[in-house]
Amino acid sequence: MAADHNDHKVGACRAFSDRAWPASGRARGGLETTLTATSAVVPSPARPESPATVDLHGEATPPSRLARQLWAARPLLVILARKEFHVRYRRASFGLLWAVGLPLLQSAIVAVVFSRVARFGHAPHYPVFVLSGMAPWLYVTAVLGTGATAIVDSADLSSRVYFPRVVLPLVQVVAGLYGFAVTVAAMVALCPVFGVGLGPRTLLLLPASALLVVLAAAACVVASILHVYFRDVRYLVTAGLMVWMYVTPVIYPAADLGRLRVAVDLNPLTGVVDLFHAATVGGAGPMAVAVWVSVCWAVVLLVSGAALACRFDRVAADLL
Amino acid sequence: MAGTVGGRCAVELRGVGKRYTKYVDTPMLVTSALRLRAGHRRDRLWALRGVDLDVEDGESFGVIGRNGSGKSTLMMLVGGITAPTEGSLRVWGRVAPLISVGVGFHRELTGRENIYVNGTVLGLTRRQIDRRLDAIVDFAEVEQFIDTPVKFYSSGMFVRLGFAVAVHADPDVLIVDEVLAVGDLAFQVKCYERMNEIRSRGTTVVMVSHHLGAVRRMCERVLLLHDGRPVHVGPPEESIARFHEVLAQSSEVRVDHDSGLRFDPTAVRIDAVELLAVDGSPTAHVEVGEPLTVRVRGCALRDVDDLVVALTVFAADGTALYADSTAGSHFGPVAGGCAFACTLGFRARLPTGSYQVAARVDAADLRTTLAHFPPKDFFVTGRHTVAGLADLEMQWTRSDVEGTAAGAGQPGQATAARALGGTVQARAPHGADATAGAPARGAEHDGSGRATAMPAGASVHGPDRR
Repeated sequence: MAADHNDHKVGACRAFSDRAWPASGRARGGLETTLTATSAVVPSPARPESPATVDLHGEATPPSRLARQLWAARPLLVILARKEFHVRYRRASFGLLWAVGLPLLQSAIVAVVFSRVARFGHAPHYPVFVLSGMAPWLYVTAVLGTGATAIVDSADLSSRVYFPRVVLPLVQVVAGLYGFAVTVAAMVALCPVFGVGLGPRTLLLLPASALLVVLAAAACVVASILHVYFRDVRYLVTAGLMVWMYVTPVIYPAADLGRLRVAVDLNPLTGVVDLFHAATVGGAGPMAVAVWVSVCWAVVLLVSGAALACRFDRVAADLL
Repeated sequence: MAGTVGGRCAVELRGVGKRYTKYVDTPMLVTSALRLRAGHRRDRLWALRGVDLDVEDGESFGVIGRNGSGKSTLMMLVGGITAPTEGSLRVWGRVAPLISVGVGFHRELTGRENIYVNGTVLGLTRRQIDRRLDAIVDFAEVEQFIDTPVKFYSSGMFVRLGFAVAVHADPDVLIVDEVLAVGDLAFQVKCYERMNEIRSRGTTVVMVSHHLGAVRRMCERVLLLHDGRPVHVGPPEESIARFHEVLAQSSEVRVDHDSGLRFDPTAVRIDAVELLAVDGSPTAHVEVGEPLTVRVRGCALRDVDDLVVALTVFAADGTALYADSTAGSHFGPVAGGCAFACTLGFRARLPTGSYQVAARVDAADLRTTLAHFPPKDFFVTGRHTVAGLADLEMQWTRSDVEGTAAGAGQPGQATAARALGGTVQARAPHGADATAGAPARGAEHDGSGRATAMPAGASVHGPDRR
């Protein structure tokens, strides 16, 4: 079932043609190879002339092969994401409403409490400010919470059949998109209510969401592979998420921090949240320093994630 | 069987080895990053080493060995679940591992949804699953419950559904790891039939089993692994014999009458096993009840004082029907380098079908096997009314309750009484005479008198007998 080709560790690339996974029908169609004269002499059976579907020379996978396997694993990604979705929302009595209700509820509480208690209410359109920060934040929390341990949690699947293991954290990334999309839709719908005008800058939500998804996906891939080898990653992620909200300008505007602003800008999520603010209430603008920092973080995490996946994807099952 | 000219390779392993690293203490990211521990204590274990293997397209290949011999590791490597530490491994065609049923099942989903998840995991596209859905549900016998969540299924239904999806996955290479014995007996029969169908379609099957009967029945070649190293590849009988030898050498194995055998190939060699008819000509066909002669010709490689020649008759599905040997009689010494021949005969009291007879030479103490020979096929033309494993030569008679002209005067019935050792109560008016006479007749004709009674009682002895 694995349509992967694994070249030698040194990286010599052979031009194997790709065999799509899953193969439709019998993959042997067209393998009527002519027997060479040596087959009568050689004791072992003749090797087919077509390339092998499983070709393993060592524990690592070259990046191009892994990318191709991931692309071929799209049906699996879709069906596992749908399974997550059904399992989460099927039996809940209000089902899909919780996907909307919880983020709105949290944002409302934060907005009310912090505008009264901590006097952040001077930020323009504070409720929408909070909501536009909470939407990406809650997405990250949900996705990293389950995605960072995805490979180990699905050990029954990973230890019994082959598919690129990094599909598992990506399933969480995709499954969380539903709640995220609904929250963003609710936010856009609430903007006029709180006096925030919609316009061309609302379109900034698209690159903002894209950057958010890329960051979350890369972080999940890195964390889930590390978690296979270091089992305390689960607790590090939980602890980190607790602290992280307070170093991201979700509740408070970053401008209030003065000199500490530099520290907050180094946070990869600050740039994303800034973009979300820029799309709704205005703010530092889309080209702020924090946004560039976020983009750099995304690149670094993507490269690390890809390197870890290429080295460990094939053998992660050994430790499950 | 290996390397048949014209066979294509489906699975190829060259020098494959797999090493596992087990950490004594679970490594923690925090301590590793800060180097707080001197070093991780870990054990490195070679689960598999030096495996060279070629499995032909369409072949059924078995792997046997003790627990811990590396069988499951080999299955995981061939299925692509893990990668080898050294060596190279190639598989041609789509691979579906059957390591446990119901991979990907989730309790909250309905049976139908789980079929889609499991099918996709095993490599089918959505359209392929759509086409096979009815066949899968039918095979698993869960039509009524297909739309209820599987958490309400009984364990038997759960397993049947998982297995049904797996056998409909139609891969090119199927890897089976001990999952054939699931469900109740009727379902197991269905599974075996389905496996045979899969094999006859040309799917390459690589299977691991502890059930040596299944391996002997279904596999063309068998690999024996011990401690992660390949010990023997060859026909099932050879590998199983070597397995027994290996088991006997391990001191912790309980030695029972089956697995206490040692194998010593240096004493005797079997050169030929021939099947002969009554007139001495080679044959592979025999009528039911006719004697079949097996001539075993061999050569002693060194001086032996005594040996035992044994035969086992197998049915077509690998069941051992009958085994007997010359034990208890003195075969006699054979000098080293000298040839010997032993002629054994038995009567083929079997139903119509094809059978195999395997010859073996054991040492006189019956604890060491000295030589064996691959089974030879023969065919029995039997009575068409007989089914099952053996022909026990049933005879029958009609015995109506009084009023009928029954009694010792009826030649057929009297003959029947003689044939059955006089146990038939002749319900004749002269009942006392008949019963008084019966024991005497019984004394003359005990069970072995059957053969002589046969020609006389033609009409009463039911279906035709020769």
